[in-house]
Amino acid sequence: MKTWKKFAHIDADSVGQAADFLRRGNAALLAGGTDLLGRMRFEILPDYPEVIVNLKTIPGLRGIREEGGKLRIGALTRLEDIARSPLVRSRWAALAEAAHRTASPHIREMGTIGGNICQLNRCWYFRIPDNRFHCIRKGGKTCYAMAGDNRYHSIFGALKSCLAVNPSDTAPALVALGASIRTSRRLVEAEKFWDMSVPGSTVLEPDEIVTAIEIPPPPPGAKSAFLKFAIRKSIDFPIVNCAVMTGGGDVRICLNAVHNRPWRATAAEEVVRGKAVDEALADAAGAAAVAGARALPGDRNKWKIQIARTLVKRALLASA
Amino acid sequence: MSEKKKAQELECAAKGISRRSFLRDAGLAAAVPAVAPIALGGDASSPRRETGAGDGPERAGAECACPGEVELTVNGERYHCTVEPHWSLRQLLRDQVGYTSPKDWCGGQGACGSCTVIVDGRPVLSCLTLACECHGTVVETAEGIAKEKHPLVEAYIEHNAFQCGYCTPGFVCTAKALLDRNPNPTEADVRDALGGNLCRCGTYQQHPPAVIAAAEELRRDRSRS
Repeated sequence: MKTWKKFAHIDADSVGQAADFLRRGNAALLAGGTDLLGRMRFEILPDYPEVIVNLKTIPGLRGIREEGGKLRIGALTRLEDIARSPLVRSRWAALAEAAHRTASPHIREMGTIGGNICQLNRCWYFRIPDNRFHCIRKGGKTCYAMAGDNRYHSIFGALKSCLAVNPSDTAPALVALGASIRTSRRLVEAEKFWDMSVPGSTVLEPDEIVTAIEIPPPPPGAKSAFLKFAIRKSIDFPIVNCAVMTGGGDVRICLNAVHNRPWRATAAEEVVRGKAVDEALADAAGAAAVAGARALPGDRNKWKIQIARTLVKRALLASA
Repeated sequence: MSEKKKAQELECAAKGISRRSFLRDAGLAAAVPAVAPIALGGDASSPRRETGAGDGPERAGAECACPGEVELTVNGERYHCTVEPHWSLRQLLRDQVGYTSPKDWCGGQGACGSCTVIVDGRPVLSCLTLACECHGTVVETAEGIAKEKHPLVEAYIEHNAFQCGYCTPGFVCTAKALLDRNPNPTEADVRDALGGNLCRCGTYQQHPPAVIAAAEELRRDRSRS
């Protein structure tokens, strides 16, 4: 097994102290470690952090509680704890299911919700060991996926010339549930939280740290659902996933792993808004969701369009 | 366990550790004694130290900001080890403590479950866990599960739930963690819990009946006692 190159390790005792280390430069935050430590072991990025700042020693960043009907989940809460929480399962079912379908049981026991929404996007050129493809996302000049094998890549075009996809399972659930992300500086609507930066995948400033997720109470009578298509059901990243919340006069549909950031399917929402969802309407919504989707030249990722369409349909029926 | 093995297992030696200058500036390096090596006697709580090189900044490369020393319980015994920040728990267990059941298959990507150990009741991947973050934890490996004569061991043999056996320690640890949490799992529960463990021999079908049989045996044991 490849061993890590050396780094220093700090147990942070406050968010402010962790941010100080980030401002000093060449530091990386460690929560569950399942994305960061794998990435470091294989040296996929050109830069290797000098200092690892352990967030798990900061008090108060873990736990699930209800505050005035609102759900508050600490950033360090493990995915498995969210998946098993009776509170989350009862009223924010899409999130519980998304957490349950993330990665493998072991990764869910280690990985946190904060880490899950901040993980770097996936593209096998970007993620290949030893930075063998110095792509646009790493500050290079070429997107190797554009001409290469892009069977898992974006069906909604490039963002800043990058075709990688956001692989988070919890992200679309948070968007569908109307969540907000609490950081060390501000409160950001989940829908506006993801953006492709180099090399990150969020709008976070270099010294900004996610501290909690806040989710409003679902509208009365609303139901939510999450569906995922993956090659191996028990372990893999999504090929496409979809979260839906319907009822209470509102509908929110969000796909992920189809673009650089979670993709809110507003056209599909318009199709079903104010109507009772049945098979035909759900099918029409699925078609509307992918009306703007385009396979990349060579059609290698065309199959994802059909999967996205079907997931929107099935998720709507599951939450109807 | 032989005395020699025990002695080997207790020998948790580390390479030299020194501080980095910016940490000293930041006043954060309080707890990093530079000792090389540390040898432990029989009493793990008061390690005998042989002082080595100083902690000058000239010792390039070996910079550390974690306490350097961790005390953890592995399979019921306490160990006091000196670790470098970039060591994985798997490395600590195999190379320092001497338990070789956490295997490596996927190369440390967290993709196979072969290195699974139980840390504070949770099945985790020891390849993606930093050793220096395991201070105060209780760790169980497949050796410990075998030592306590857990019914999983017999059930795995009985149901031929392995072929080459390489992935078995990871499966057994994951199954043990499941049974600790859920003494009466359904087949679906077992499939779900073992979903992160890969087996190239393809013994997947045999695992659920083996784990369910072990659960039944455990319940029988409990009703007897």
